[in-house]
Amino acid sequence: MNFKTKNKKSLIWYQVVKRIALVAAVFAVIVSILLLANYIQTKSIDPLNSQALNHLMLELQKDPENTALKEQIRALDLLARKAYFTNKWQIRTGGFLLFVSIVILIFSLKYLNSFRSKLPDLEQDLSAETSWESKIIARRSITYSGLVLFALALISGFLWESELTPSESTPDHSLRYPTLEQIRQNWPSFRGPEGNGIAYQSGFPVEWNGNTGKNIIWKTEIPKPGFNSPIIWDKKLFISGADQNSQVVYCIDTRSGKFLWQTELNDLPGSSVERPKVTKDTGYAAPTMTTNGTYVYVIFATGDIACLDFDGNRIWAKNLGAPKNHYGHSSSLIMHKNLLLVQFDHNASKQLIALQANTGNEAYKTTRDVQISWASPILVNTTDRAEIILNSNPFVISYNPENGQELWRIKCMDGEVAPSPAYADGMVFVVNDYARLAAIRLGSPPELTWEYDEDLSEVPSPVATSELLIMASSYGTVSCFSSKNGEKYWVHEFDEGFYSSPILVDTLIYLMDMSGIMQIFKVAKEFQMVGQAALGEQAMTIPAFMDAHIYIRGEKNLYCIGKQDG
Amino acid sequence: MHLNQFNHIIISIVLVCIINSSSAQIIERFPKPDFKSDYTRPQTITPEARAAHLEYLDVFVLIITLSLASYFALKLRSRKHIFLLMVFSVIYFGFWREGCICSIGAIQNVTLAMFDPTYSIPLTAVLFFAIPLIFTLFFGRTFCAAVCPLGAVQDLVIVKHINVSNWLAELLSILPYIYLGLAVLFAANSAGFIICQYDPFVGFFRFGATFNMIILGLSLLLLGTVIARPYCRFLCPYGVLLNWMSRLSRRHVTITPTECTNCRLCEESCPFGAINKADEGVLAESKNSDIRRLAIIIVLTPIIILLSGWVVSYLHDTLSQKHPSVSLAEEIQLENRGKRTETTLETRTFRASGKPSEELFEEAKEIQKRFRMGGWFLGGFLGFIFSIKLIKLSIRKKQPEYAADTGTCFSCARCFAFCPFEQERIASLHRTSILNEF
Repeated sequence: MNFKTKNKKSLIWYQVVKRIALVAAVFAVIVSILLLANYIQTKSIDPLNSQALNHLMLELQKDPENTALKEQIRALDLLARKAYFTNKWQIRTGGFLLFVSIVILIFSLKYLNSFRSKLPDLEQDLSAETSWESKIIARRSITYSGLVLFALALISGFLWESELTPSESTPDHSLRYPTLEQIRQNWPSFRGPEGNGIAYQSGFPVEWNGNTGKNIIWKTEIPKPGFNSPIIWDKKLFISGADQNSQVVYCIDTRSGKFLWQTELNDLPGSSVERPKVTKDTGYAAPTMTTNGTYVYVIFATGDIACLDFDGNRIWAKNLGAPKNHYGHSSSLIMHKNLLLVQFDHNASKQLIALQANTGNEAYKTTRDVQISWASPILVNTTDRAEIILNSNPFVISYNPENGQELWRIKCMDGEVAPSPAYADGMVFVVNDYARLAAIRLGSPPELTWEYDEDLSEVPSPVATSELLIMASSYGTVSCFSSKNGEKYWVHEFDEGFYSSPILVDTLIYLMDMSGIMQIFKVAKEFQMVGQAALGEQAMTIPAFMDAHIYIRGEKNLYCIGKQDG
Repeated sequence: MHLNQFNHIIISIVLVCIINSSSAQIIERFPKPDFKSDYTRPQTITPEARAAHLEYLDVFVLIITLSLASYFALKLRSRKHIFLLMVFSVIYFGFWREGCICSIGAIQNVTLAMFDPTYSIPLTAVLFFAIPLIFTLFFGRTFCAAVCPLGAVQDLVIVKHINVSNWLAELLSILPYIYLGLAVLFAANSAGFIICQYDPFVGFFRFGATFNMIILGLSLLLLGTVIARPYCRFLCPYGVLLNWMSRLSRRHVTITPTECTNCRLCEESCPFGAINKADEGVLAESKNSDIRRLAIIIVLTPIIILLSGWVVSYLHDTLSQKHPSVSLAEEIQLENRGKRTETTLETRTFRASGKPSEELFEEAKEIQKRFRMGGWFLGGFLGFIFSIKLIKLSIRKKQPEYAADTGTCFSCARCFAFCPFEQERIASLHRTSILNEF
């Protein structure tokens, strides 16, 4: 310090500024520590994902009309927001104080530094680092740094693999889909695995009563209406509901019947504000959803189609164009490998559309020269190939599900087709009211083997084994035929008609009538009733059979039926 | 030696801070309430563009400040005036105009305008880019002296500078070229304005920035108390252009107003190491080895350029990640291939839009191709700079007297006071003014 030339006043100033600098430094350190603590706290706590709030939100999902609960959530939410913004204010204010203290510190230090000698030490050895020597060091350091950068860039470029570059070593996970065995262990689509009306499990109850609660494990009210049937993968059940105002997908825990989540699918890109006209007995959510075990897929009468993950997050969603037909869109979705197959029939065009399951991008679109059909496709796996078979007027047409190319067609239908086909042991069965029941033997070429034209089905789809074919009708008749030659074994008349379709479960047929009574009878050449079980409300949908439980969507409620202890 | 070690440690710590803070971008979001209530959310308002006359006022102020800075540095030779002008620039271009528009960032506007015909560049951006360069061409880097708010704010916090070794300064001086090259590459491909994204001081000027940006700015300011103007010297991409222009400038500040006697009094006066010391160019090695080395570097230059071009073009996949479309396409593909089970807001929004993924992938691949081509140019440019640096460092130059380096001198006028001839000039002026009073 060079105080010799400084006067007493300067010395006093020096001491004052020194203390100011010290205070500013201490203050800056304290504020920095507080700011850091504040920042860590903000980062570590997610106020809107607090356990309490999440718990309340789950409670609200179960009881959406609970006003007190809503108020409680709002209060907690407001508290979380206040805490968050207070924290932000503290950081902002702290930052400002830190800035001011640092400015004071710096200018104090600058002032203090002005007391120091600025003249160079001319006795310092000049030869310590001559210009040329430093150039040599600089040259070497630049060369080595350049080489290091060069190597790092090479390594980085080598290690970085763009996902956009097709790589032979990387398997394409987009092609992952469940095996046939996995599909058959679940209930992934309309009328079960492959849409064929066959359950591959056994041990299901044959008696229950929705009015007395016998064998009713749980019952859950579904907020939005829909004629679609439940689908199940593992422990999650999915159904959809829609009205003129909104479209919702529900996920329900099969063990408890509680809603796990519900996702609204409104205002999708391209979706028309004006809803298409639908009849009361079709509604806006008639098509059944489907799943590949990773995602679930849903389509509504508006043409809105969406893919959600198992947590209800929207993966993709689009609108296929509002399908205009005089009842409303009802064909259910089905999956083949990584393709989502959509039978999309409406006045303007009739199409089979395949979408990439993971992206929703169109894989192919096949235009069909048929009348509108309200039936759903089934997947048939012959030993040679996979086929997707669509029942429509006037043709029953089979397509290659991989590319949408037509494999064969047979002209045998008439009228407004609603029943879906059935398949067993190389035979395809199609039916429609005012047309015929037709049996087609697959081969080259496929041929119409036999046909029948009484007690025909208007809505229910038939179900077949290698020996027998069961056909129900909306008039209350159930007929049994030989699959091979069409010989009629029996016809039984029930009191109520059927919109639901028969499901083959082991050696039994489960068939729900319109009043909600499940008619259970043997698959045999002679009619043999096993039981009748009342749901307690009307039901038009197809039950889902899984893990010894039957899941039935009634007009208002979803039921889980299982054998109760005692 | 101790000072140098200390110096290196500080630089290392600060560089680590800078890298850490710049690599982790934080997007702060607070979700809207997910229940319905009667509350109607106010509509999002986009601030209106700054009125045209105010933009031209900025240009006017820029010209005036540049003129004053040049006058103060070259004619008046007054550090005091430069300092006051610096304070004004920090207030006007920094705190008042919140660091925008600035000449450094304007590089990107100009680049984007050159490569994207749909981009309509504001005239003020062009003027802010060009005017300082023109002034530099005539008067040296007077823009850095007192007009650039980024430079000024760093200059104000210098407490006691320690000298960075010449070799280290030479090595670090390559960073601005890399930064400039990347900024041009990204801007040319519409991948973002990285100079603005990583502007370390804009957070102070606006009293608001992400935590990481504040840390970055604070680190540079703290470093700047001992290593003078670290951003200007070792990062500023605009400084590269100013350096080139300044080397061609018609006039430039001189340490002494008359002649240099190599008294060495000014030797430590420049905190930026921009004084070329007198050097008689004593031969330590044989002249032949010097020539041989130089010849090898010159011969290798085209190879270095090509190799660098190839390497950087090889990085096109990595670099193109900065482009939002490429980044989104990569994320979509990761999800499609099942490599990532969690979806992001961006991918969900994209999928909900109904746009086919293939279209996005094609677009992304096109962008990657452009980055590959751009990588060749960027790599070639960097290879050329490396070679030029090596050539420059291989030439032995005689330096007869102490002089400000025309390329790196910021014209801050600090060194004037250390020259005895300058003191004599001031004393003479003082005497003249007293005589005039009588």
